Amino acid sequence: MHPELTGRLAPAAAAPSGAAAAGDAARQQSPQAIIVAGLRKNYGAVQAVRDVSFSVGPGEIVALLGPNGAGKTTTLEILEGFRTRDGGRVEVLGLDPGDKWDARELRERTGLVLQDIAVEPYLTVRETIARQAGYYQAPRDIPEVISLTGLDGLERRKVRALSGGQKRRLDLALGLIGRPELLYLDEPTTGFDPAARRGAWDLVRQLRTAGITILLTTHDMAEAQALADRVVLLSGGAVVAEGPPAGLGGPDAEHTRITFMLPPGVLLADLPVPGVSREGSVVIETTQPTVELHRLTSWAVRHDVMLSGLTVDRPSLEDVYLRLTRDAAPSAAPEKKKTKRSPR
Amino acid sequence: MTAVLAGGAPRRRNNLALVIHQIKYEQLSFWRNPQSAIFTFVFPVVFVTIMGALFGRVGKSSYFGGLSALQYYVPTIAALCVLGSCYGQLAVGLAARRQNGILKRVRATPLPAWGYFSGLLAHCVLVSLADIVLIVGVGRLYGVPFPSQWPAIAITLMLGAASFCALGVAVASMISNAEAAPAVTQLVLFPLLFLSGTYMPISSRLLSQVTGWLPIRPFNEALIGPLSRHTGADWGHLAVLAAWGVIGAAVAIRRFRWDPRPE
Repeated sequence: MHPELTGRLAPAAAAPSGAAAAGDAARQQSPQAIIVAGLRKNYGAVQAVRDVSFSVGPGEIVALLGPNGAGKTTTLEILEGFRTRDGGRVEVLGLDPGDKWDARELRERTGLVLQDIAVEPYLTVRETIARQAGYYQAPRDIPEVISLTGLDGLERRKVRALSGGQKRRLDLALGLIGRPELLYLDEPTTGFDPAARRGAWDLVRQLRTAGITILLTTHDMAEAQALADRVVLLSGGAVVAEGPPAGLGGPDAEHTRITFMLPPGVLLADLPVPGVSREGSVVIETTQPTVELHRLTSWAVRHDVMLSGLTVDRPSLEDVYLRLTRDAAPSAAPEKKKTKRSPR
Repeated sequence: MTAVLAGGAPRRRNNLALVIHQIKYEQLSFWRNPQSAIFTFVFPVVFVTIMGALFGRVGKSSYFGGLSALQYYVPTIAALCVLGSCYGQLAVGLAARRQNGILKRVRATPLPAWGYFSGLLAHCVLVSLADIVLIVGVGRLYGVPFPSQWPAIAITLMLGAASFCALGVAVASMISNAEAAPAVTQLVLFPLLFLSGTYMPISSRLLSQVTGWLPIRPFNEALIGPLSRHTGADWGHLAVLAAWGVIGAAVAIRRFRWDPRPE
């Protein structure tokens, strides 16, 4: 991981100073941007969302992470006001998206970028943004949004002549033009090449610096790790873990992993620290890596033993993701087939 | 919220400005799409020209209800054009916009539903108006005199456009698959056009009575009066048309979905 990000995503240091200050200021105004408590949603007999609770603070970036069919998009669509809920409490900017009048106000104050690229082919970039701007009370300036989304020089280009990535950025421009306090991004970088993805991430960070609260869905661990202050991991329609990306998965995930090949002629029991044999290697999981590593290496030096393939690492978010979604899988398994025909 | 208002004074949008805003961009999209523009404007001109070539010399006859052939066809082709842009293109266009997520995106903005649909309706009326002017112009070349009952024509046009738009939205509400939309709309439209006397006068009394209660024939009749007979608004037929408009609107309001994926 990028060193700068490692620092930022560590549980203690929540966000860079500028964003943190903006977040603190907003936090004093209203306690939470989004509150979801005990949310439930069924499609016929299928429980798409069975029990989802989480909250998003003002100025925070929170990622809803999970495999397909975990209930990410359904949860997001309930927050956006596109779907009704069957149970639970939902509050967005202090309003209820399930209420007709609240939903109307929310449309003024929130922006969204959907999974599908939905833009009229025959309008130019500028016209498309200008039309959307006309729907809001206090839209951003069009040139500002164009440069923010990196569409400079494409103002007069017809939408149908744009590349997929450019259309996606236009979509994001439409989500931003209304000067939203809260932005929903549904799998914002699906189908991007690595460079475009980096670009999109930089843009999302810029938006956070501008004080916009962001809730995004993704099934990409690297994306959640790179962007999110907190991750809400869904599986089978329920939250299986929640927290900063680095601390996800509870205390187990805080363990450091020491791995090396078992030296020839050495038994597992001969080692100075207890370890387990896994796929031909010895794995030691510890919460005190400095001490354990010292004990291990000094033992090795003293006995003139080579620890080949010695590595020290921490379980990645991907390891945690796979472990947690696998743990939750048995209960969700019978519904897997049915889930396909319902919205994600 | 200070964050919302910072950097831009809140604007008071009045409803008329919003509808004009919608019309402007509907028109832009429409004129830039070569398919829709050609279908809407080249087709009627070609049609009237063919009818003129075929029947241009057929004078007033009882077969055409005491009118010349072109006096009969100018109004029915005008009606066909209104049907095409208000019912056919609208149903197909809305189904496509829903399928690719454009409607859902519109729904996520503060634009109210009435604003979106009034923009569409006004756009359809403008296109229909342009069509009628074009058709009457070409008809003049074949000796059909200019109509004199413009207020009656305007009323008939507005009511017809509104009713067929409502029916178009209703049909779009009931189609879930955009690929099926053209087939479904044509399937309903095509036989009815024949039976309603669009392509040839219907002499069967029974058939005329039945189609007289369906939407197309009343619209044909209501246009033939002011366009070719110099009579005023045909309130009887307009009432039937309006009733269909109300039915269409009721279905549309109950069934219209913005979201491509059903709940």
